Amino acid sequence: MLERWITALRTEDAGDESPAATRERLRDLFPRNATRRMTQLGIVLGSTLQPLRPRENDTVVYASTHAETLALEGYLDSFPNPSPTLFQTSIHPSSVQQNLIQLQQPVRELLPLTGGDDLPALALQAALLAPTARTLLCGGEERGGWLLEQGHASDRTFAFTLVLSTDATDAIGRVSLEPAASDAPFRPLPLAAFFDHLHHRRPCDLLVSPGRRLVLNWST
Amino acid sequence: MSDPLKNQLKTLMIDTLRLEDVTPADIVDDEPLIGGGLSLDSIDALELVVRLEKEFGIKIGSSEESRTALASVNALADYIRAHADSSRLPAA
Amino acid sequence: MSVPPPPIRVAACGALTAFGDETVTLDALLAGRTALAARPVQGRPGDDLVPLALIPARPYDETLPPGWLPALQTLAARIPGEGWGTPRRPVFVTGSNFGVGHLLAFRRHGDPAHLDLGTPYECVAHVARTLGWGPDVTVISHACVSAHLGLLQATRTLHAGLADEALVFSFDFISAFVAGGFHALKILNADFPAPYQNRPVGSIGLGDGAAFAVLTRDRGDFALAGQSLHNEMHHFTANRADGSGFAACLADLPAAAVRRVWLKGHGTGTLEAGRLETAALDQAFPDAPLVSWKGALGHTLGSCGLVELAIALAAIRRGRAPGTIGATAPGFTPAVAFDAFDLAGFDGVVCTSNAFGGAHAAFIACHA
Repeated sequence: MLERWITALRTEDAGDESPAATRERLRDLFPRNATRRMTQLGIVLGSTLQPLRPRENDTVVYASTHAETLALEGYLDSFPNPSPTLFQTSIHPSSVQQNLIQLQQPVRELLPLTGGDDLPALALQAALLAPTARTLLCGGEERGGWLLEQGHASDRTFAFTLVLSTDATDAIGRVSLEPAASDAPFRPLPLAAFFDHLHHRRPCDLLVSPGRRLVLNWST
Repeated sequence: MSDPLKNQLKTLMIDTLRLEDVTPADIVDDEPLIGGGLSLDSIDALELVVRLEKEFGIKIGSSEESRTALASVNALADYIRAHADSSRLPAA
Repeated sequence: MSVPPPPIRVAACGALTAFGDETVTLDALLAGRTALAARPVQGRPGDDLVPLALIPARPYDETLPPGWLPALQTLAARIPGEGWGTPRRPVFVTGSNFGVGHLLAFRRHGDPAHLDLGTPYECVAHVARTLGWGPDVTVISHACVSAHLGLLQATRTLHAGLADEALVFSFDFISAFVAGGFHALKILNADFPAPYQNRPVGSIGLGDGAAFAVLTRDRGDFALAGQSLHNEMHHFTANRADGSGFAACLADLPAAAVRRVWLKGHGTGTLEAGRLETAALDQAFPDAPLVSWKGALGHTLGSCGLVELAIALAAIRRGRAPGTIGATAPGFTPAVAFDAFDLAGFDGVVCTSNAFGGAHAAFIACHA
């Protein structure tokens, strides 16, 4: 069994808020002019990640299915004169880098994952296997534009950062991945649903992928 | 007397890079564009290059060339005057 | 004090480049050949020409089904064993671009079928179905260090006893989406890359690449004797000027694991990063000869770490390492090896990759 204590959690649910509204609402969390090139996902992620002060010897695991959707759309729309800013910004794991570069905060390990409905389980496994005493598991999505109209983007903007520790001091919860029979029926937990469990501090005990049972409990 | 090309470049910079609370009068002609008071970086410079290439029909071939051309507003104006078709420049 | 686990073993490793498999690629590199050719950056007449190395007969524009899929199937047919994508035999897919060229194809031509391959996970899901893998597929995407991260995650999964064997599978095929972006960054330009050469202008080339590695705890001729990472988070496209990011990653490698190493660096052909990289490698491994093959293969982006590992292992088997094709003296340091050299007396190779955001990754590969 892989397990860690949850010692901190921040979530941000921007729903279907426009990027401009998110930028206006959260701009005071960032230095002046810092949000100029940030994406909506970068801003909401930063609102959860930066207060938890990543440190150099932490592991950061990042999970997003669609990542920088609007930068991607903008970059595609900029052809035949492609925008270097939007190209750069669209590359995974941009939203984490937007924040850590702003902080000038090196980290030893950054593990950016992407995936479908199995993403939270696999990202959690990566986080629980990290050798560092403290691991930040973060992720989120931003609401798409024309990619959403085509059914290939998130319909909501949200972000989360969980601090996972080997030390139970001040723990607010506990998360584990427990082995299960690999042929037992499972029900994937997509990223948005995982976010809702975190955001509302709902417990979870689900077979989320072959051989993996995700157990999430809250003490406060 | 103000230089119309430099004024045009400053307006273009503010527009392209979405510089908030910055007016053309705030941009100093001989101050470094990258790493100077505007806090622009190399990616901003490259974004500006795309716009400049489209606006003036110039072609900047490498990152080294863009760094030289965009050293300051003065350097950029000199570069454009040297490389752009004069029909694309604002009237003096 | 806990005893570290023994080095993970590489039971199988293969690659595909514009030349062919890793053996054919090694032959070409030892002969000093380059696969790079000047091609229109967005695939249209009149475009700027840039150096690209594409696998033969693949259309540059994305097609349905993808033009690169048969090549991937040919590579995957060499992967030993069955049951990949099950809990005890998980797959770690790594890359940077996956099917992103299909998004541009959709924008250009309007066929929504392209969108089913556009996001990384949908592209990988399509590949997994095509190759007959099960659902246990982790997708790791961190630009040019992606393959290193896949190797590291596979290693941890094996050490934790969660799997019996692990497959790391990496691919990155060039599209106008990607070439257009690097061209806009002004580092993919008319000049061909000359990694580690001390010259006034830097430039890169881009190349198709795919590779696989089967990792086990106890089987295989080669081992990964140490793996390390570091992320500077200083700037998206620039490194800290003092080279400390490169040094920090190298410092975490177990230098005592092997006595005498050669170095397979990242070496894309850019100037500042090349200077910092060579200086850091020279400091950490004095007198170790350094090569980069991106001057011949192009930068294979998200697959480069694994593609170049496969070639390095083939070189060790052959007993001869290709030099830094495309570059000539002077190099940034005397350690840069422009010509091929014999590997007698070397115990292993340090392989490094770097990526946007100042990401650094390294491992030591040696005989088990």
